[in-house]
Amino acid sequence: MSKIRRLTVSSTAVTAVGLLLTACTGGTATTNTSAGGQSGTPRSGGTLNLAGTGDIDFLDPTAAYNTDTHTAERAWTRQLFTYPASTDTKTVATAVADAASEVPTEANGGITNGGTTYTIHIRDGVQWNSSPARAVTAGDFVRSFKRLCNPVAPVGAPSYFIATIKGMGTYCKAESKIPGTAKGIADYINNNEIAGVSSPDPKTIVFQLTHATADFLDIIAEPFASAVPVEYLKYVPNSPEFKANTLSDGPYKIIKYVPDSTIVLDRNPAWVASSDPVRKAYVDKIVITEGQTPEAVQRQIQAGTTDLSWDGVVPTPDIPGLSGDPNFAVHSSGAVNYAVFNQQSPNANAAMKNVKVRQALEWAIDKSALAQALGGSKIAKPASQILTPVDTGYKPFNLYPTPGDKGDPAKAKQLLAAAGYPNGLTLKLLYPNVSQSPKIAESMQADLTAAGVKVQMVPTTQNDFVVHYISDPASSQRGLWDITLLSWVPDWFGINGRAVLQPMTDGPNYGPNSVDYGDYNSPVTNGLVAQALSLPVSQAAKVDDLWHQVSLQSMQDAAFIPLTSIDVPLYKSSRLMNPVYLPINQNYDITNVWLKTG
Amino acid sequence: MTVTPPDQIESTGLSSTLPAAVEAIEGRGPWLLAWARLRRDKVAVGSSVVILGIILLALFAPWVAHLVGHGPNTQFRTTGLSPDGIPVGPGSTFLFGTDDLGRDVFIRVIYGARISLLAGAVSAGLAVAVGVIIGLAAGYFGGAVDGVLSRFMDVVLSLPYLVFAIALVSLLGPSLAISVAVIAFFSWASVGRIVRGQVLSIKEKEFVEAARSLGASHLRIMFIDILPNVLAPTIVYATMLIPLSIVFEATLSFLGIGVLPPTATWGNMLSESIAYYKVAWWFVAFPGLALLITTMAFNLLGDCVRDAFDPRGNRLFVATEE
Repeated sequence: MSKIRRLTVSSTAVTAVGLLLTACTGGTATTNTSAGGQSGTPRSGGTLNLAGTGDIDFLDPTAAYNTDTHTAERAWTRQLFTYPASTDTKTVATAVADAASEVPTEANGGITNGGTTYTIHIRDGVQWNSSPARAVTAGDFVRSFKRLCNPVAPVGAPSYFIATIKGMGTYCKAESKIPGTAKGIADYINNNEIAGVSSPDPKTIVFQLTHATADFLDIIAEPFASAVPVEYLKYVPNSPEFKANTLSDGPYKIIKYVPDSTIVLDRNPAWVASSDPVRKAYVDKIVITEGQTPEAVQRQIQAGTTDLSWDGVVPTPDIPGLSGDPNFAVHSSGAVNYAVFNQQSPNANAAMKNVKVRQALEWAIDKSALAQALGGSKIAKPASQILTPVDTGYKPFNLYPTPGDKGDPAKAKQLLAAAGYPNGLTLKLLYPNVSQSPKIAESMQADLTAAGVKVQMVPTTQNDFVVHYISDPASSQRGLWDITLLSWVPDWFGINGRAVLQPMTDGPNYGPNSVDYGDYNSPVTNGLVAQALSLPVSQAAKVDDLWHQVSLQSMQDAAFIPLTSIDVPLYKSSRLMNPVYLPINQNYDITNVWLKTG
Repeated sequence: MTVTPPDQIESTGLSSTLPAAVEAIEGRGPWLLAWARLRRDKVAVGSSVVILGIILLALFAPWVAHLVGHGPNTQFRTTGLSPDGIPVGPGSTFLFGTDDLGRDVFIRVIYGARISLLAGAVSAGLAVAVGVIIGLAAGYFGGAVDGVLSRFMDVVLSLPYLVFAIALVSLLGPSLAISVAVIAFFSWASVGRIVRGQVLSIKEKEFVEAARSLGASHLRIMFIDILPNVLAPTIVYATMLIPLSIVFEATLSFLGIGVLPPTATWGNMLSESIAYYKVAWWFVAFPGLALLITTMAFNLLGDCVRDAFDPRGNRLFVATEE
C-alpha cells in the first residue's frame, strides 16, 4: 500500500478535485495575503473553537494521513523533526528539531558514512503524560518505526521508509503478515529489530540508510513517525481501546473523542514548555465540533461563534465578498488538480494507451474556465505540469500552450483524427460526487465534446471512487473508467520528488492502491526517478534538474492533464491572533494561536 | 326512501329548479358527473392551466432554447460568470440568470421540467399499473395469495427508499431509468393496498356474483367487472402520486444519485446551487420555484379530482357554483 499523497482536508474526499488538500512543508511556500492578527502581545488562556465537516481518519498517528487529523495531532504528538510555525516562507518549509535535540548535519556529526547514517539525540524534558510522567526515549521512536507496517492500521506511505531505511522492507513484509491482535503485534515488535533503526542508549537513535538521500529528514518529520509509548502495545492499533487510552507528549491531551461529533483537547500537565521549541500552546483548551457543512462553518466564523475551520476552506461563492476582510487570507498549497488517463483501459481500441490520443486530449481543455469555476485567479491558476513552484524540479514550461489557456478543441480534434480517430471516440470520465469534482467534470465534458469526444460521466461516491475504482487495477483493466479527476499535494515541499512525481509515475510498482492510477510506465522516466532518488543532499542542484526532467518527460508522454493549481483560502474569527499558516497541514497552527479578549 | 334536499342536489351539480331538472335529467354516469364538477372547479382549472403551461414549456424547450440561442448545457464562461466564478444575475441576456458554470438557468429550468414530468408521469404510471394488478390479485383471490402479496407490500413500504436507491445506484450506476424504476418500486405498494381494499368490498357485490355464476373467468371478473369500479380512487391516488414522484426524482438528483450530469434536473440544479444561495439567489430560487409550483399544481389538481369523485368530501378550497 502506498498512499503517498496527502488526503484532502475537506472532510470528504481523499482525492477529489477542488477540495482543500494537505501539504507537507517545503521550500518556498508563499502566502498571497495574510490574515490580520499577527501583531500584539500573546495572551494565554481561553478555548479555541474549531468546526468542520468530517472526522479524523485515524486517531492512531501511525495511520493518520488527513490534513485535518494532522492539524489536531500536532497538539498531542511529537516527532523527531517537524516544521515550525513561521511567517517566513522558507523557515516554515524547513524541518527543525522537535523531540530531537538538533538537526543532524555532517558538521555536527549527525550525518556520517557518506550520508547513509543519521545519529539523532533526544531532547531533555520531552515527557509522556503517563502516571507518573516519564521521559520520551529513543526506544519510543524506534517503536514507532517498528509499528509502521502493523497489519491493522499501517502507515499510508510505507514506501518512504521501505525505500530508505535498511532492513525496513524485510521487517515490513513479515510484520504485515502477523496476526492483527495486540499480542501478535507486541510479540513481533518486541522480538524483531529493523536492521537500520537502533537505539544505543535511551537518548540516541541511529538510522542506517540503504543509500544517501536528500529527503530523509522530511520523511521522518512525517506525523506517521510520532513517538509511540510502550503502553500502545497493549492495544490493537486504532482500536476503541487504543482510542480510549491515548497518551500525549505534546502540549495538549485528548480528554474527549466522540467519532463524527467532538474532539476536546485540554492542557497536558506533563508537557514542559522549555522542551518544545515549536509549540507555544497559548490557548487552554481546543474544542473541535464536527458534522457541519462548509457554509455553516463559514457563517459561524463570521458570527464569531467559531474561530476556525479545521478541515475546510472558505466556500468558493464567499470568496469575492471577503476581499479586504482582515480575517481572510489565501495561502499557497502546492496542490494541483489533474486528470489521469487510464492506460489499462481497453475502451475505444485501448485509446488511452495511445500517446497520440493522450497528447491530443491535452489540447482540448479550457483550463482558464476551470480556474474561473474554482474561484478565479485568486484561488486557482491553469497548470501546465504536475509540479508547482513549491516543488523541487519546478521550472515553468508548457508543452501544450493555447491562448489564455482556453484550450484548442479544433486542434485536439485534428490530432485525434491523425491518431486514428477521425470520428472521435467515446470515453468514460470518472469522478467522485463531492465538492468541486462534478463541476470540473462537467466543464471538461463540454471541452472534450467540442473536441469530438463523447463523454460518459461516471459519478461515484467518495468511497467507491477510491476503493472500487482508482485503487483497484481490475476496475482499470475492465475499462470502468478512461479519465479521472484527482488532486495532489506533496507530503512535504523542497526536495519532495519522492512525494510527488515518483509515486505518480511509479509504473514498475503498479498494483492495488498504487497512486500511479493510470499505470503510466516509462523506462525513461523510471530511470530519471531512480537517479534522482539516489543522490545525496550535497547534489541538490542535480536532483532538482532530474525532477524537472521527470516532469518534462511525463508531459511529453501525456501521462496526465494538469488542470489547475489551487491555493487555500482561510477565514478566522476576529479574536483569533497569530494565525500562522502551516503548509504541511494547510491550516493555521493551532498550537501557536492565541485569543484576544473582548 | 331518502329524499334528497334541494341544496344537496345543487352541490351534486343538478339544476336547482326541480321541475327543470327533471326535464334535463340524462343518463350521466359518475365519470361524467365528476368531469362536470371538475370543469366548474376554479382551482382545478387553474392548476390544470399551470400544468399545461409547464408541459408546453417542457415540450417546446428545444424551440425556446433555439430562440434564445442558449443550449441547456452551453457554458457562457465570459458572459455568464464573473472572473471569480460567480453566476450572473437575471437580466435581458439570461432571464433567470446563470448557474455556477455560466449556463442559462431559465433554459435549464424548462429542460428540467422534461425530466421531472417524465419521471413523475412514467413512474406514477408504472406504480399504478403494478399496484392495480397486484392489488386486484390480492383482493380478489384472498387467502394465501392475499397473504403473500400483502406481506410483500408491507415489506416494500417498510424499506428505507434512500438507502435502497443509493445501494442500487452503486451497483448499476445512476440514470433516469434507474431513478424511474426506484420511484415506481417504492410507490406501487400504496396503490396496491388501496386497490386491494376496494376489491375486497366490491368482489362481494351482486354483479360480481352474477358474473361468476354466468361462468366469467377470473381475469374477466377482475379486469372487466371490478377494475372499472376501483378506477376512481386509483386515478385520484395517481394524480397525487405524480408530484410525489417528481419530488422523489428531485431528491435522488439532489443527492447525486439521479439523472447524470450535465442533464438539467431541478434536483441537481438545487444541489449545485446550495453553496451559492448568498451570492446568487436566482440559482436556487428558480429551480426551487419550478419544483414548488409544479408539485403544488399537481397536488391541488389531485385534491380537485378527489372532490369531483367524492362530492360529500370537505375541502379547503370550495368549488364555486356555475
